[in-house]
Amino acid sequence: MDSNLLEHMMQPKNYGVIENSDSEGIGKNPHNGEKVIIFLKVKNENEPIIEDIKFQAIGCMTTVIAGSIITSEAVGLTFERGDALVGATLGMLDSIPPEEAACSEMVALALKAAMDTYMERQKDSDFPMITYKILNNCATNEENQQGSENE
Amino acid sequence: MNNILIKSHELWLELFMSSFMSKDMDNSKKLLEYSKILFRHFKWIENECIKHNVAYNYDRNQIPVKVDTLKTILNDIANRLKQLELSLIDIDNRDLSSRISNDIEYILYSINNITDEEVTSFDMNMSYKDIKLSQDATDALTFFLFEESYKEYELIMIYNYLKAHTKSLKLANIFETLIEESFFHFGEFAGMMSEMGILGVPRVIAKELYLIDNITEFLLSGIDEELAAKEECKKLSDAVGTENKELSKFFDFISNQENYHIALMKEALESLGYDNV
Repeated sequence: MDSNLLEHMMQPKNYGVIENSDSEGIGKNPHNGEKVIIFLKVKNENEPIIEDIKFQAIGCMTTVIAGSIITSEAVGLTFERGDALVGATLGMLDSIPPEEAACSEMVALALKAAMDTYMERQKDSDFPMITYKILNNCATNEENQQGSENE
Repeated sequence: MNNILIKSHELWLELFMSSFMSKDMDNSKKLLEYSKILFRHFKWIENECIKHNVAYNYDRNQIPVKVDTLKTILNDIANRLKQLELSLIDIDNRDLSSRISNDIEYILYSINNITDEEVTSFDMNMSYKDIKLSQDATDALTFFLFEESYKEYELIMIYNYLKAHTKSLKLANIFETLIEESFFHFGEFAGMMSEMGILGVPRVIAKELYLIDNITEFLLSGIDEELAAKEECKKLSDAVGTENKELSKFFDFISNQENYHIALMKEALESLGYDNV
């Protein structure tokens, strides 16, 4: 196992909550209730920039690793580049197994939800936190089969 | 008072992790016992919060445990203990604060006398007791240890919250036993992680995991999770079994202990009047 990956497992980056965050967003797996919440502190000069980012996950270690990597990439990005990061992450998911793709998708969609919530709050400060649901399922084919047998 | 609870939470966990950093059995045992004392303080402070209707939670800050020497972490623990002691003034219950203060005084004295050691718990050596494992088996073991050590910490916190809020002595006893069981597993996994040089503090538990509205539902899904955990242990036992008998036997033992946890959870469900167990 790669030492960078181990670092993310031993000490996930940006794990936690931002008190008085400017925006929050959730990426949720509707199949099993796992989710990721992202908190943003945004600096808005000519365009919104992610000044600080934190995440919390109700999910597995793979989700935490994905959260640690993606949030590290997102710090300091403009929303435009943040959208590109979300797009690039979602674009890579086709090449990995769905059970692994689900974790990264959840984090990417949480980031998108947090940025979209921020934009909505520029028009309405009471706008509620947005939740996006993922398309991939993190259960393996074997587990899906067992699930349908039990139904 | 929530602030005091957070400080004591950080302390019992940091002491717990430090006990696996020492290769000296006496030091290790001592630090583990002090962690247990701090965990008791944590429970007493939580009970005080409940008694006085003070809102509290299990949030905490990141604990920087990655050190090269034992003294470094012990100095950090000593500083935190002193901060905790200073904040005890905010507890109205003087008996409680002086009890905690007495313990802190002695622990400070004791850890100050612990001889320094080099810490190898973070060197990513990836070997356990000189056991030769293939890359795949090592990766499977690594992933399992991170996943399950967090899971055991999560269970300790959830059962602790449920125990603190139940009025049933029977349920309290069941939750206490489950906490002890999870502490044992947590410790076993942390010990292995330290040996492999990949020791890590479990992440903070999300509020919605322990603020449980429906205990019956929680226990029912908990039984499913225990069954899944058994399966994970079995998979791991199979993955390492062909390469090492000792590890395989250990994971079979952990897997079989899940049966006991399931039995306890069923007992808890029965005492809640759920008869379809």
